[in-house]
Amino acid sequence: MSLFDRNFYDFIVNPSPEDKDSIPGLAQQAKKYGYSGMALVNTQVTETDTENLPPDFSIYHAAGISCKQTKLRSEIQKHSKKNDIIIVMGGDELLNRAAVETPGLDILLQPGEFNHVHARFAHDNSITIGFDIGSLIRNRGDARIRELTTMRRNLIYVRKYDLPAILTANAATIYDLRAPREMAAIASLFGMTQKEASDAMSTTPLEILKTKSQDYVQNGIEVL
Amino acid sequence: MRILPVLRDKKRYLAFEVTSGQKIKRREFTNELHDSARSLFGDTGLSEMNPHLISYDGKYGIIRCTRDRTEETRAAIACINNSGGIPISTRVLGISGTIKGATEKFIQKMLVKEPEPENK
Repeated sequence: MSLFDRNFYDFIVNPSPEDKDSIPGLAQQAKKYGYSGMALVNTQVTETDTENLPPDFSIYHAAGISCKQTKLRSEIQKHSKKNDIIIVMGGDELLNRAAVETPGLDILLQPGEFNHVHARFAHDNSITIGFDIGSLIRNRGDARIRELTTMRRNLIYVRKYDLPAILTANAATIYDLRAPREMAAIASLFGMTQKEASDAMSTTPLEILKTKSQDYVQNGIEVL
Repeated sequence: MRILPVLRDKKRYLAFEVTSGQKIKRREFTNELHDSARSLFGDTGLSEMNPHLISYDGKYGIIRCTRDRTEETRAAIACINNSGGIPISTRVLGISGTIKGATEKFIQKMLVKEPEPENK
């Protein structure tokens, strides 16, 4: 079985609220590219959207939080009941620190300033580190160099502290999406292997969804 | 002068598909491909990759590159995000050792697949 013969998920998709066809369009494009599901960030899905979805394609709801570190805990608690996945957009050191210390969080996306202390907390609270491939596609020059440096350093911590990692295109339109193999090829630019990239789009998202199921108690314990 | 067959560069052909609102011209796509590859790998990388647009019809196309640099070429193709302000998205359909293989295995397969939704 090939590495890319799996069910892939993109967990951070930001459809534009003004465009009505945005959600079905994104879903169709994602399905065509070989994804089996995606998570929409801070978006209300209407009934017409659900009718127009392609078959065998799952939609999840995610809450994307970007606020000050003092409000982070209350924001996460507020959103955790309604949404499947909680995502914090990485920022400065204090915000990242507050995020990795909160057990309810699922994904910390592209943390800019991340060190071994953060990594240890993230490991204890099983928080996934998100790699934003979209920033590499959209940016050129200095901005892209900065992002690549950040991702290369974050990957070192992911390997050293055995953190789960996730790859996302952070797409807003259908033109921002990329197929899983292309995502892996771009991820290889900052040193990620094909296997790691494939796991980051299939195994890790499924693990996150598993922790959300009702039978799940905590890591290693499950009600049968 | 003719190069000895054993000394020739080993090549790979990447069949790709472009998704865009408007049709992108061949020249524009070539420029974007070279811009993207140069921005990612620099002049040295580009000379090692040696990407060439073999054929392109506005939607499907074939790019030739050296065998050892297929993954880099794939990354360069994936990093193309717009052409003259028109947002585009590209996907590699498959990699083959011959132009015939790339056309028959990947592009013709897509062309056969395509008319299906229209009939429904």
